[in-house]
Amino acid sequence: MRKTVIAATGLLALASLAAGPAAADKVKIDFWYGNSGDISKRVQEVCQHFNDSQADYEIACTSQGSYYAAVQNTIAAYRGGKPPTIVQVFDVGTLDLMLSDAYYPAYKLMEDNGYKVDWNNYFPGIRAYYASSKGQMFSFPFNSSTALLYWNKDAFQKIGKSEAPKTWEEAAADMKALKDAGYDCPLGFDISQDESWQLMEQFSAVHGEPISTKNNGFGGLDAELTFNKTKFVKFVTDLKGWYDQGLAKIKSKNTGEDYVTAFASGHCQMTLTSVGDHGNIGRTADPSMHWDVAMLPVYDGTTRHNSFVGGASLWVLKGHTAEEYKAAAAFLNFIAKPDQALFWSTVTGYIPVTKTGFDFMKANGFYDKAPYKGRETAIAQLSVDPAGSGPGGIRLGNFLQIRGELSNGLQEIFSNKATVQQGLDEAVQRGNTILRRFEETYKGKELL
Amino acid sequence: MVERTPILNLFTQAILFLALLAALAPFAIVAIAATHDLRTVNQVPMPLTPGHDFLKNLAEAWVRADLGHKLVNSVVFAGGVALGKVTIAALSAFSLVFFRYRGRVVIFWLVFITLMLPLEVRIVPTYAVAANALSPYQSIFDVTGITSLVESLTGYRIALQWGLLNTYTGLILPLIATATGTFLYRQFFMTIPNELVEAAKVDGAGPIVFLRAILIPLSTTNIAALATIMFVWAWNQYLWPLLVTTDSSHGTAVMELRELIPDAFGIPDWNVAMAGTLIIMLPPLAVVILMQRWFVRGLIATEK
Amino acid sequence: MVADSGTETADPRFLPGVGVFGRLGARIRRRERARAEAERRVYFTERWIGVLLIVPQLLLIFTFFYWPTAQALYWAFTLEQPWGGGNAWVGLANFTAMLSDPVYWGSIWQSIVFAASSTTVGMAIALLLALLVDREVRGWRIYRTVLVWPFAIAAPALGMAFRFILAPEAGFLAFVNRLWPGLWNPSMHGLDAMICIVVAFSWKYIGYNFIFFLAALQAIPKALLEAAALDGAGFAKRARLIQLPLLMPTVFFVAVINLTDSFTDSFGIVDIMTQGGPARATNLMVYKIYFDGFKGLDYSGAAAQSIILMLLVIVLTVVQFRFVERRIHYK
Repeated sequence: MRKTVIAATGLLALASLAAGPAAADKVKIDFWYGNSGDISKRVQEVCQHFNDSQADYEIACTSQGSYYAAVQNTIAAYRGGKPPTIVQVFDVGTLDLMLSDAYYPAYKLMEDNGYKVDWNNYFPGIRAYYASSKGQMFSFPFNSSTALLYWNKDAFQKIGKSEAPKTWEEAAADMKALKDAGYDCPLGFDISQDESWQLMEQFSAVHGEPISTKNNGFGGLDAELTFNKTKFVKFVTDLKGWYDQGLAKIKSKNTGEDYVTAFASGHCQMTLTSVGDHGNIGRTADPSMHWDVAMLPVYDGTTRHNSFVGGASLWVLKGHTAEEYKAAAAFLNFIAKPDQALFWSTVTGYIPVTKTGFDFMKANGFYDKAPYKGRETAIAQLSVDPAGSGPGGIRLGNFLQIRGELSNGLQEIFSNKATVQQGLDEAVQRGNTILRRFEETYKGKELL
Repeated sequence: MVERTPILNLFTQAILFLALLAALAPFAIVAIAATHDLRTVNQVPMPLTPGHDFLKNLAEAWVRADLGHKLVNSVVFAGGVALGKVTIAALSAFSLVFFRYRGRVVIFWLVFITLMLPLEVRIVPTYAVAANALSPYQSIFDVTGITSLVESLTGYRIALQWGLLNTYTGLILPLIATATGTFLYRQFFMTIPNELVEAAKVDGAGPIVFLRAILIPLSTTNIAALATIMFVWAWNQYLWPLLVTTDSSHGTAVMELRELIPDAFGIPDWNVAMAGTLIIMLPPLAVVILMQRWFVRGLIATEK
Repeated sequence: MVADSGTETADPRFLPGVGVFGRLGARIRRRERARAEAERRVYFTERWIGVLLIVPQLLLIFTFFYWPTAQALYWAFTLEQPWGGGNAWVGLANFTAMLSDPVYWGSIWQSIVFAASSTTVGMAIALLLALLVDREVRGWRIYRTVLVWPFAIAAPALGMAFRFILAPEAGFLAFVNRLWPGLWNPSMHGLDAMICIVVAFSWKYIGYNFIFFLAALQAIPKALLEAAALDGAGFAKRARLIQLPLLMPTVFFVAVINLTDSFTDSFGIVDIMTQGGPARATNLMVYKIYFDGFKGLDYSGAAAQSIILMLLVIVLTVVQFRFVERRIHYK
């Protein structure tokens, strides 16, 4: 891995090796992350940029292959007394770490090492996810994304439309028209294990509907799930109706084609997926296909709220020396710079997390032309409500298991084993048991 | 065989040929995926006529995963584990079958139960042992008061430390205990006729000589089978090497393979990932071929 | 080789007890003795060498398995905070919560169905193939090699290939749905998903079983089979009367290992192929342990489930050793 990067950066790396002091003088720190594939290659490039940019510190970045393994191995290493300095933790793993004693809060790290960070520079939807109730950030947002509606312009032209549907009512009419125009799969979606987030979480976010009591869990560990009593029930009912009429189709890995591929190949005309897929669809779709992204539809008469951010953030762990923390602070400061934001968003589909990063990219004309044009919609959707009056995220324990329960409920609903209400009620009831278990585990601990 | 059986031969060929196809089909799909470009490999269904990017994908995977170096590590790792397992299984089974001492049955079960709990579930405490393999003994000394006793007697405080992280020992040693191997040898050793043991005893051969001169040569085929399976098994281990090696110079090829697999929002370059998979699968496939040389017909009739 | 069992009652330890159970117990003991007599082994007398030889294995499993496992399983009786912030003793609450959940019983049932079907399929096919390859027809060296290969497949390759083969809309099986629309759909039908994981698991384990069966078959001297052939015994008869009886120790080994692995080592395939769905239809016990513990950080729940799974597998294995191994003659 490292060899490639050196080869890629060529002379630059060599020059810095020659110019810098002996490697032994450098403070070395470890950074463990979960990304794989092409994204992992990009993370390695970011690390290399940092190592080349200065001579005092050296960061060794190691992919653990998946978000799960990154968290699990870090816990093992932390409890074994040998934690990495920085670790990437994905959104649903955040709360366990937040309630632990294992981390050095981001705001404090930067303060202690003399960096002045304007935390308000982070987009509200992103800040809320990783900050205490007082607004102090515990970790650094790293790779962030949010869901968008992807739509096929060619197909919509056939039904006489040049705009994406803004409401679900409009979307339903469009699906009908697309079907009548001979399209087999107007909307592709998925309900398997990890895929219910665009449906439930993002839907609830943009509609301003609660997922649980206590402000989606921000108000305390005793929150109870409520998504079986909100507009989400209507959405699932409608989706099931569209599914039964053949207007919407389940496209998953197990059917042979997931919803992203199905959209890219032109088999499905609309889908809901992360802005992170923007680049992939651009690379894998037929170049002659015209498509675009739009904000997620809302039901008629709904005031639109900010969508939630997904992805992962970087945490600094306890158990290291002051020198190592200095190195960590330098690295985190480095990746927050606007030019790094531009690099990161160019080579991946992730969005910039700060306003200055976004402005810098805009000023550079990043969003003006293909293939990046359209991605600004994600930022717009995350800042519909600049004050950020909603909960801004989800802070529920064992949330991965809760996602699993929801997905099982949806699978029962879509295979006609349960009615919509039954399926969601059961998911909520089982999810609440899981939440109580989490609350019991952290008895006596308070959310900061 | 001695008799002429044209119909049975035809049937045999037909079944084996079908099985051959079924065994090879998944490998063929992987190989074809490795020949496509990014767009083609993501087509549904993926075309089964090979594309033109095979060498390019192989090269990309080779460089990105630093395979030259990592394959060598993997050979050392998987070879070490296979060798260790074959040896330790032979010794254990020999002990369990040919000696009579108290607790043999319990020991067999203790070994067998190790099959039943995946590493994924015990990863946190296992890491602590990898960081200091002597920590269990230290804890025992501490709890039983031996530590303080020794300290009061000698003034020397016992502090056992043997870190296995980022070492080949750490990669290999914890994996060579083997329930499967011990069980397999037990099954084979139990078929050894008593007469052989008695004959050895009459000739004045001790147990070690018996093991080396008679049992091992008789077990060649079983050893080959076990070594093959264990090499392949170790080769494909992922979580343990990942845990033990934080420094990439000790990393294995399969760790790199996981890193080649496209991430949720990364470029779905399955063509490169499958090219990497193909390269990484070659050594185990080759070992299967090589080991066949030790598949020899039995010579000694076990009386029935 | 039938041992003389006439003298047992003279041994005071085997005097029949009172009542049905006593008599039954005596009968079982009598039979056990008879068997022990039949399988009587000759042992080496240097016990210390035997003990010495087993020590390395014991040290390894104590250090790297039992010590850490004991700690992990202790969590079953607590609620453990994953980052080590402490835990609260809850006694058997984790177990009662698990066992009073009908969904968990469903998961136990699925594990049994999965283990039984994948073991049967994997062993039957591998045995047939090994017998056929052992006939050494033309090209048998190629078959002998290639049929082992499935065990060597890397997990990502297995996932990609079987998804391609089994996908209802675009794979090899798409033609089924062209003939009978909606018949095959593992993403919606639980049974289809179960078939998928059984096929993938068995496919891989056929390579594993095959190599051990073939190794055992090759150990049977050719002279023995040729003599039988001269006596007019055909392929099937030879297999039944000579090869299978001599193969029994290996069959037993393969059966025990397959059953154990299908209970405890199948989470990878489930994770790649179905993630326990649809609607929990393939939520095998070990996958749930993996999901809750490794992915979801519920260490205590995963530990409690691990204990239940281990007990189940231990019981099944004991049953196999007690009742199946009885019937095997090692010599």
